Amino acid sequence: MVKYIIVTLSFLIIVSYSNDILAQEKYEKESRIKQSDVPPNAFKFIDSLSLKNKVKWYLEEGIERKSVEAKFIRNGKRHSVEFDTLGTIEDVEIEMEWEDIQASTKNSISTSLKEDCEKYKIIKTQIQYTGNQSSLLLKLLSGQPTEILTVKYEIKVRCRSKKNTDLFEYLFTDKGQLILASRILFKSSNHLEY
Amino acid sequence: MLLEYYLNPVIILNINKLHHVLFIVYILFINCASSQSTYKFGMLPSINLNSKLENDWSLNTKVESRQLLQTGVFKGNTEKEFDYLLTDLSMIAAKKVGLNSRVTGGYLIRFEKEKLFHRFIQQYTMVQRLEAFRLAHRFSSDQTFSSEENPSFRLRYRITSEVALNGASVDPGEFYFKFNNEYLNAWQDSVYDLEIRLVPLLGYNLINNNKIEMGLDYRINSFLNNNTEHSFWMNLNWFIEL
Repeated sequence: MVKYIIVTLSFLIIVSYSNDILAQEKYEKESRIKQSDVPPNAFKFIDSLSLKNKVKWYLEEGIERKSVEAKFIRNGKRHSVEFDTLGTIEDVEIEMEWEDIQASTKNSISTSLKEDCEKYKIIKTQIQYTGNQSSLLLKLLSGQPTEILTVKYEIKVRCRSKKNTDLFEYLFTDKGQLILASRILFKSSNHLEY
Repeated sequence: MLLEYYLNPVIILNINKLHHVLFIVYILFINCASSQSTYKFGMLPSINLNSKLENDWSLNTKVESRQLLQTGVFKGNTEKEFDYLLTDLSMIAAKKVGLNSRVTGGYLIRFEKEKLFHRFIQQYTMVQRLEAFRLAHRFSSDQTFSSEENPSFRLRYRITSEVALNGASVDPGEFYFKFNNEYLNAWQDSVYDLEIRLVPLLGYNLINNNKIEMGLDYRINSFLNNNTEHSFWMNLNWFIEL
């Protein structure tokens, strides 16, 4: 009798197991801010880049934190520089092509994605640099690799699992090891569809 | 996937330029009203309730009424008289079939004076989430039956753009601009007509993610047989997420 119960319970647990990705949900509210509302240190950092294109400043509010972000295009690539509300730089993200990632890293990332998704499509790839302010400034000004920066890859992926299709944001190390996966929550579109 | 590939050229068109072009078309249509064209002006308020169900299903219910305030002929006589024209009540079931797309089917009942109309609706929508705005494509067909008139059949396509007026996306407590452009092909008694609708709207995303919109719904039809009819409806829409 006990064996029967154990087998039945085991069967129910296995059957109810789903292939759902264990991911956080990403929620962010973004609003445009005026240059005059930007923390002075953040403005000074961006100003020192002597950018030709317009810089757009945003306040990003997540569930637990706020940050200030500068977005601009430089050398034909979209850049995003994130600061905390005091103006201390947090990271630099530059959009890039998936094909430009080193092969071994790409393979490692693909293996991770295949574990979560039956079928997937890379929507957007960004390289993320974190480190001290002067190293990040040097990276932005010269584009030269600096060994003291931490490199990560942020990938936006359309992922089809057994149950449904969702959009996820993955963060990987420079070697392609998974750090974090977040499911992107879409804003309501009923007013566009009906 | 094929549809998304086909619609790629739309992505390339800068949304600001698209809005400028559509506004110019909007003004031209209004200005080209000939002296023989008739027009109607009135109100078109609606309440739209949407509720999410299990397994990517959702239910949408809408109540819309139409009230006439003025009719006339351009550069001719006008008649100002309030007339309550009709009330539409619709219920649509929708199923998410991809990351950005939905298939829907539903029913609408129209109470128009002493007449009752029954309409069956089928729809496919796709929302493109682009860098600074969203585009929605809606393909639909409907069949309308009544004991008073012969059945009518329509095939429709609507493109909608939404641009946040603060930031890259529309968050609670923010305004947005929405523009609908729709083409309706209609058949009744083997007679074909084309109606074009241009609807610019200013919207506000309330704190609880419900939305209110206001704008002018401009419609032109019967221009293919030189009997152009223009109508202008003040839209006031309230979208409620249950």
